[in-house]
Amino acid sequence: MSLKDILMPFKAWGNVFKEPVTLKDVKREGAPRYRGFHKNDVATCIGCGTCEAICENEAIVMVPVEGIETKNGDSGLRPMVDYGRCCWCGLCVDVCTTNSLSLSNEYIWTTNDPEEFRFIPGVVDKPWNNSEKGWTKPGPNFSYYGKERVPMPELKPDERDKSFIEIVRGYSKEQAMKEADRCVECGICVATCPAHMGIPEYIKAIRNDDLNEGLRILYDTNPLPEICGRICTHKCETVCSVGHQGDPLSIRWLKRYIADQQPAENYKKILETEKITKNGKRIAIVGSGPSGLSAAHYLAQMGYECVVFEKLPKPGGMMRYGIPEYRLPYDALDKDIDYIKSLGVEIRCNVTIGKDITLEELHSQYDAIFVGTGLHLGRSTRIPGTDHPNVYQAVDLLRDVTMGKDIPATESIVVIGGGNVAMDITRTLARIQNQRYGKVNIITTSLESEKEMPADHEEIIEAREERATIIPGWGPVRIEIENNKIKGLHVVKCTSVFDENRRFNPKFDESQTNFFAGDMIVESIGQGMDISYLSESIKENLKFNERGRILVNEYFQSSLEWLFVGGDIIQGPDVIHGIANGHKAANGIDKFLSEKA
Amino acid sequence: MKSLIDKLGKTFDIKDIVYQRPNLAFVTVSKEHVLNLITNLLDYEGFSHFVLLSCVDWIEDNAFQLTYFLNNPTLKIDIAVRCFIDRNNPTMTSAHHLWKQIATYQRELKEMYGIDFPGSPGVDENFVLEGWDNIPPMRREFDTKKYAEETFFPRPRNKTNDPKEYMKSKMYPND
Repeated sequence: MSLKDILMPFKAWGNVFKEPVTLKDVKREGAPRYRGFHKNDVATCIGCGTCEAICENEAIVMVPVEGIETKNGDSGLRPMVDYGRCCWCGLCVDVCTTNSLSLSNEYIWTTNDPEEFRFIPGVVDKPWNNSEKGWTKPGPNFSYYGKERVPMPELKPDERDKSFIEIVRGYSKEQAMKEADRCVECGICVATCPAHMGIPEYIKAIRNDDLNEGLRILYDTNPLPEICGRICTHKCETVCSVGHQGDPLSIRWLKRYIADQQPAENYKKILETEKITKNGKRIAIVGSGPSGLSAAHYLAQMGYECVVFEKLPKPGGMMRYGIPEYRLPYDALDKDIDYIKSLGVEIRCNVTIGKDITLEELHSQYDAIFVGTGLHLGRSTRIPGTDHPNVYQAVDLLRDVTMGKDIPATESIVVIGGGNVAMDITRTLARIQNQRYGKVNIITTSLESEKEMPADHEEIIEAREERATIIPGWGPVRIEIENNKIKGLHVVKCTSVFDENRRFNPKFDESQTNFFAGDMIVESIGQGMDISYLSESIKENLKFNERGRILVNEYFQSSLEWLFVGGDIIQGPDVIHGIANGHKAANGIDKFLSEKA
Repeated sequence: MKSLIDKLGKTFDIKDIVYQRPNLAFVTVSKEHVLNLITNLLDYEGFSHFVLLSCVDWIEDNAFQLTYFLNNPTLKIDIAVRCFIDRNNPTMTSAHHLWKQIATYQRELKEMYGIDFPGSPGVDENFVLEGWDNIPPMRREFDTKKYAEETFFPRPRNKTNDPKEYMKSKMYPND
């Protein structure tokens, strides 16, 4: 021990009367990027739970919050943080799909009640809720999962505008796996899909390169994956959580990837349908569109003997006779249909119900009937001039194209309509004009503004790439006819289509007029149903709603207990609703016949 | 900074140069050249201040990555020297003779990752984990959650809801 060591304690006594250096009640603010207590903009948050999934400490749980509704694109849940578990790493912020979650730089807060250390940021009032400092995502382009979707290889406009070759080429394995890697598996999309497909699960199967499992997941809820993988309206993508800060996942193309990779001859083995025990009951299905095929598939899987009656020469309904081949090639359509046939489903084409056989006769021969006859009648604007022979319905022309008939495509055409069918006929006629005349001269006009047009945005872009002219926001007034020849379409400016209750109630500005020249007019403003096959006695026993639709219960069972009705004539119109209807109706028929037995 | 890195590159086999900021660069050299390089930086390039020594466990590559952060107080620039060492034989030459305080970092790395720095003062003494009887806890194979559940008395986690299932229960319960 040195002398210094002995004297040092005494030296300390020299400080005894000095002012203490302890600073009381002085707040030391955290650094501007300090990771303190959470903030959450609950109005922007969609409750996807990605913050919970990434938290290694299980510090986050997703809980319902009063006043926040569960709806499409929003689970209604919000993250609750347990600060006994949180390590303030900030991963929850970095992974947040909406950028709603952040950390304040506040780190001093205490309470005697341990329960108060678990709270819902943004819902519980805290002094740091409006703090501007703290941890946010490092930079606007920061993303763990990639903001941009993997581009889909497509034929260029000049490679496709004269033929009906499929435009979209499909993902390669590498592309699909890269795109699948962007999925955060939140499952927000599932509620919006009418068939409630296992979307996160099949995307995970792609990531795991387990396409057998992927196919099984697809067929759990959708027996037309090749078709839906191409032409589904993909509402799921509109609510994709990743889409809030970048491109949504290409859910539709990923579904197609799974189906495309599996050879048809492997389906029965993968889906374990090589041996189905028949239950001896027979179901008649009227219409071979998506709802009819879906019902047939699930009923056949359950052991029912299904016979599908189709009025047209080949099965598929609107999928074959409404959707052009460049969007849905026939071999993809047939792959899905052939698999359903392989389950023992018999499809009898060229049979018209009400003419070749009545519904009553079917009722006497089968245990139950499912009807999904679709919307095949084109609606007319009924403006002056629509009775001219050169005014056509889009659905009729599209059907004729599939049937190989000669289409009356003239050199200048005006299409009325803003939906996908309007785009289909526009692009089909543009191809035919290109083949016949070496040029495209087609104008498509709609009541809706471009933002409100019901057609998929990519359809509008692609139609323009194929040199069609799309002019939205005009209402048809009359068709100009001179010497019995159509000269064009007179239109007025449409200022709004829907009223405040979202009811169809177009308003026009009569002072703004326009004229679209053309020698042929095609109407594509919607379709109606043809249920003339229902006899009067059946109609008398059915209940209809105020819009003339047949009333059905949750199983798509009508007021005649043996008659189930689904597809576009009940809900839609689109393929995926039809598939979902058919599936539910199949379950309903099974329930009905099981309870009856 | 670039001229400094270029100059160093003439003497040392430098790879993976990252100019993180105008005043911060990362370089990677082999394990055998680390001490030569940081000695050179201390003796000839004015990097007199040792900032920190850190480690990353790249378990997939079977390697630990050591990073020596040095500061030049005159030029106000930092350089971070990285190297990879074999995870199966985690031994590194001690640098405590260059900066005394490195011994403390090396002692910490011994405890947290099991990396030995033979000759480093106190390297085998406990750093913070008195009575530790498990594999070094910063190694990636260490299951922190399992250890915590077996060792402590965790308060149960609150009930959580899966967004997909919750939406089903609210929006389409009968499907």
